[in-house]
Amino acid sequence: MRIAIDTGGTFTDCVCFVDGELRVVKIFSTPGDPSRALLEGVRLLGGGANVEVRHGTTVGTNTMLEQTGARVAFVTTAGFEDTIAIGRQAREKLYDWFAAAPICLVPRELRFGVTERVSAEGRMLRAPADEELAALLEAVRAGSAQAAAISLLFSFANPATEQRIEAQLSGLGIPVSASHRILPEFREYERASATVVNAYLAPRMQSYLSALERRIAEEHRGGRVDVMQSSGGIIPARVGAVEPVRTVLSGPAGGVVGACRVAQWAGFERIIGFDMGGTSTDVFLANARTGAERTREAVVAGVPVGVPMLDIHTAGAGGGSIARFDAGGMLRVGPESAGADPGPICFGRGERATVTDANFVLGRLDAQSFLGGGVDLDRERTLRMMRQQKGALATVEEFAAGILRVVEMQMEKAIRVISVERGHDPREFTLVAFGGGGPLHACSLAAALRIPRVLVPRLPGALSAIGILLADNVRDFSRTVMLPGSEMENLSGSFGELERQGVTEFAAEGFAGVADRSVDLRYRGQGYELNVVYDPQAPERSIEAFHALHRQRYGFADAARPMEIVSLRVRMIAASEPYEPERRALVPGDGGAALSAEREVYFDGGFRPTRFYRREKLAPGDVVNGPAMITEYTAATLLPPECKASVDGLGNLVIDIGEVGG
Amino acid sequence: MTRHANDPVELSIFQCAVHSIAEEMGAALRRTALSPNIKERRDYSCAVFDGRGRVIAMGDHMPVHLGSMPMSVQAAIAALNFGPGDLAVLNDPYAGGTHLPDITMVLPVFLEGDLEPAFFVANRAHHADVGGKFAGSMGPATTIDDEGIRIPPTRIVRGGRVDREVLDGILRNVRTPWEREGDLDAQMGACRVGEQRMLQLAAKYGMGKLNALIEELLDYSERLVRAELRQMPAGEFDAEDWLDSDGVTDEPIRIAVRLRIDPEAGALDVDFAGSSPQVAGAVNAVRAITLSACFYVLRCLLAEDAPATEGILRPLTLHAPEGSIVNARPPAAVAGGNVETSQRIVDVLMRALAMAVPARVPAASAGTMTNVTIGGIDPRTNEPFAYYETAAGGMGARPGLDGISGVHTHMTNSLNTPIEALEYAYPFRVRRYGYRRGSGGEGKFHGGDGLIREIELLADAEVTLLAERRRFRPYGLAGGGEGAAGGAWVTKTEAGEEVELPGKCSVKLARGDVVRIETPGGGGWGRRGTDNQGIS
Repeated sequence: MRIAIDTGGTFTDCVCFVDGELRVVKIFSTPGDPSRALLEGVRLLGGGANVEVRHGTTVGTNTMLEQTGARVAFVTTAGFEDTIAIGRQAREKLYDWFAAAPICLVPRELRFGVTERVSAEGRMLRAPADEELAALLEAVRAGSAQAAAISLLFSFANPATEQRIEAQLSGLGIPVSASHRILPEFREYERASATVVNAYLAPRMQSYLSALERRIAEEHRGGRVDVMQSSGGIIPARVGAVEPVRTVLSGPAGGVVGACRVAQWAGFERIIGFDMGGTSTDVFLANARTGAERTREAVVAGVPVGVPMLDIHTAGAGGGSIARFDAGGMLRVGPESAGADPGPICFGRGERATVTDANFVLGRLDAQSFLGGGVDLDRERTLRMMRQQKGALATVEEFAAGILRVVEMQMEKAIRVISVERGHDPREFTLVAFGGGGPLHACSLAAALRIPRVLVPRLPGALSAIGILLADNVRDFSRTVMLPGSEMENLSGSFGELERQGVTEFAAEGFAGVADRSVDLRYRGQGYELNVVYDPQAPERSIEAFHALHRQRYGFADAARPMEIVSLRVRMIAASEPYEPERRALVPGDGGAALSAEREVYFDGGFRPTRFYRREKLAPGDVVNGPAMITEYTAATLLPPECKASVDGLGNLVIDIGEVGG
Repeated sequence: MTRHANDPVELSIFQCAVHSIAEEMGAALRRTALSPNIKERRDYSCAVFDGRGRVIAMGDHMPVHLGSMPMSVQAAIAALNFGPGDLAVLNDPYAGGTHLPDITMVLPVFLEGDLEPAFFVANRAHHADVGGKFAGSMGPATTIDDEGIRIPPTRIVRGGRVDREVLDGILRNVRTPWEREGDLDAQMGACRVGEQRMLQLAAKYGMGKLNALIEELLDYSERLVRAELRQMPAGEFDAEDWLDSDGVTDEPIRIAVRLRIDPEAGALDVDFAGSSPQVAGAVNAVRAITLSACFYVLRCLLAEDAPATEGILRPLTLHAPEGSIVNARPPAAVAGGNVETSQRIVDVLMRALAMAVPARVPAASAGTMTNVTIGGIDPRTNEPFAYYETAAGGMGARPGLDGISGVHTHMTNSLNTPIEALEYAYPFRVRRYGYRRGSGGEGKFHGGDGLIREIELLADAEVTLLAERRRFRPYGLAGGGEGAAGGAWVTKTEAGEEVELPGKCSVKLARGDVVRIETPGGGGWGRRGTDNQGIS
């Protein structure tokens, strides 16, 4: 049996297949020890012997955000000890004279230089003496480091010295991360940063994952644990423990995979994902068949991570974002958030108006169905406090409607960044809305962007867990080679090495995967690369593909210009067994059986009688017209007037946006 | 006033929409430009203007373009009688430009059937070469005529068709016409993106409502600045600082300012009387640069995401004496005004401001972009190479916070080139890149340290420096010490001796020589071991 478990801030989502049907259990997270909720979920879903647990973990992210990782020693080429702190010498905020210094995960006294040098061509110019390495070992020990990161200049071109240092430091009994293993690619700062992040997370992730594996094995004979990577593939917990840098955005990656699979089943190919949470909102653009693009420029908690991750854009506004009027009298929403504590006013403790409060006073939160009615919402208190904060606006409703318009404008801007600014027209996409707040705001957002259709998957609150359940086993290998384009025909040796590495590692897991080969190319003199597929039978096609992609992305291409082969990439994939969900026949209906109430909801300047439906009671073929609210345990879908929702054969809501705000 | 003005919700949404148009123009420019300076170092700016040429939105791009973009649009309006389908190009520092490599495009946006433009959109990009005596057009010229091609406001597109004669006239006067044409195309395309989005916005709102929102947005920016100024003490605050030299003579160059703060009116008067006359070397600043520096300082006093509009400048009156270092007249050379003098103008403004509101102003930062150019023949390929980079220094200490070390400050924010990228591309071996310990000024709060970079040449090469803060060091505040002066040295392999290089020079060096560059530290803040009572 395979069970996927996604740990979130509030809930731990647990899903599995039982006789071809998805089963979902939601339990409260146990932040002190996330594995408690996980083990409970496995028990509740009846994971017996040989259970295969797939985990989306926040341990890495939280360790970064809370800065509670290990004391890391950083070893590099002498003369470059500070490069890990200097970074790219630019400042994050242009106009803030009081910005805090950027975070460096390595304390100054733990930055060590070794007298060694490798040239750009991989030639060993200077190697350190054994005595120097012995002294280094003592210095790292004396500094009471809990983990070590080694990243020497050009070590990807010649790792011999890095390997010697690695062997030497292994005598300390602390996790040692070496850059030629973690990210063997050029650009010293990004490679070193990825290696340091890995070391920073290693001790905690190792103890967390090995304890988890042990407990699963104790409770379920033959049980095993896998983890989700930020790049959208599954790796064994054993690998995740050694390379934790690959798991820092484990949960969100599950959301991307889940959105793609659900959209593919529903018959939509080009999607924009929209996941609105409490403090922030993630958006991404993907082809449901081939997945989202990956980026190597992700930054987590202010630190570049370097390893490939799904390209998710985050806007600093969510349900908990606080509204205020600034010194010039303009309404602003976020980035400050009420978070879980004190939370929005309507939850009883918060005192400042949030997006959630605005939804509440406009009738868009259904107190009865919200979290199964488990949270009391205080209407009187909310109205009173919002009245005090509404500034010059005439009514609380105008204030609340204003908050929603402003926050939706910010989300619109975030979606424009990933679509319009990258040359895509939103009108050609389907908006896939999930997370707690996505379905509530999706329709008006789609109308503003002229996106014709919104898909609210069945179980929108468990989409990350579903994605994790369905993801493929994936391992990524890469190496910078920096060769002229004319060498394209002669890459088989280098690719062979990467592939052998992949085949060996997969074999150890009992997988037989396929290798996806690709190359990062650029015109000589450029400072950025484009990744294109590499076909060993027809290597020249990579060059053609590069020109075509360059033209699409940047508007021009020049076949006469000399090219460079920067890095080779091999992605080993062992596909999950295919799953085809059961489609039920559509029986035309109006959802009458699911109707639970009629209440007043505010739209465009006034309250209107609005029908409330229970999502679980809607049946395939039902069509519901706006204005309506479709409520379920962790989310509610708001259907403005003019919008029309149909339930498809899989239980998804497919919403036709109509002419709202058009 | 219409019903829509004074609506804090509409205002917020409109500001977000119009700012996103400026950002989208920037994304289009970055996506389609050819040269690394635009694509990777992102040395460009995009902005949106109303029908009167008042800036209503600017992308978060380059601070040095803040005040100078509006002047380009004003210059184009003054010089040309725009019709639908026209697009103007310009770079003349004496007619809306800053220095010659910065080429600006201005497009008037006409609503269907209108004879007057409803809006303007504009962008500016730093081009890698615009001709002149020196490759890269940033060399030690002594008149503007030697610095490159000078383009007054000119229609490059008329009635929707590119004027090939104008375009060819530009391309024939630059060193890399193929690359320039691609970048200019990208700039025109980015203007069209802005035009389309503004037309959509006009259709959505209608011009009546849109004009009301524009007035409200400008008033709002003005209110933000006046609210800040109202909290400041009344008075006159004088400050001065110096540029080391113009590279032609050794004469120091004075920049002096008097701030008059009128909290009752919420107004600020900035007077540069007493600043040195313009000089022979290429460190003269045109008025647009000086205005940008004022704009930048005002912007930093406001909340982080205040929109950069014309309203911000309304409370400001600027006096920059004609023919001085801060308002040069032709034929003064101006290439370095953008990169070096702009930083010193900011230093002077902040020094004066610190007398008024000491708790809100950091000590001087490095105050130089330390421009390094290395050119020669790469023995690996036998092809010529040209490397240009700026080096960061120390940030000045802040009241309550140490300065940050090794970071670009104020008018620039470009990234460094990775060492591994550099050694692949050029015949260099970097021997050292690190903090210059102890270079930050002493104080209760320390100035940030500068950087040290050592480059071994693997080929004979010509090394050109344009750097400042050798003689006049970054000042401390409230009793804090000065940051260390910058410096550069060459270790000659053959002779085994070390030679110091002046701040502005061009020298021929041999394979094996090692150049060491040390950038200035930031000034310190507060006297060491005191708690600076009385400052709040």
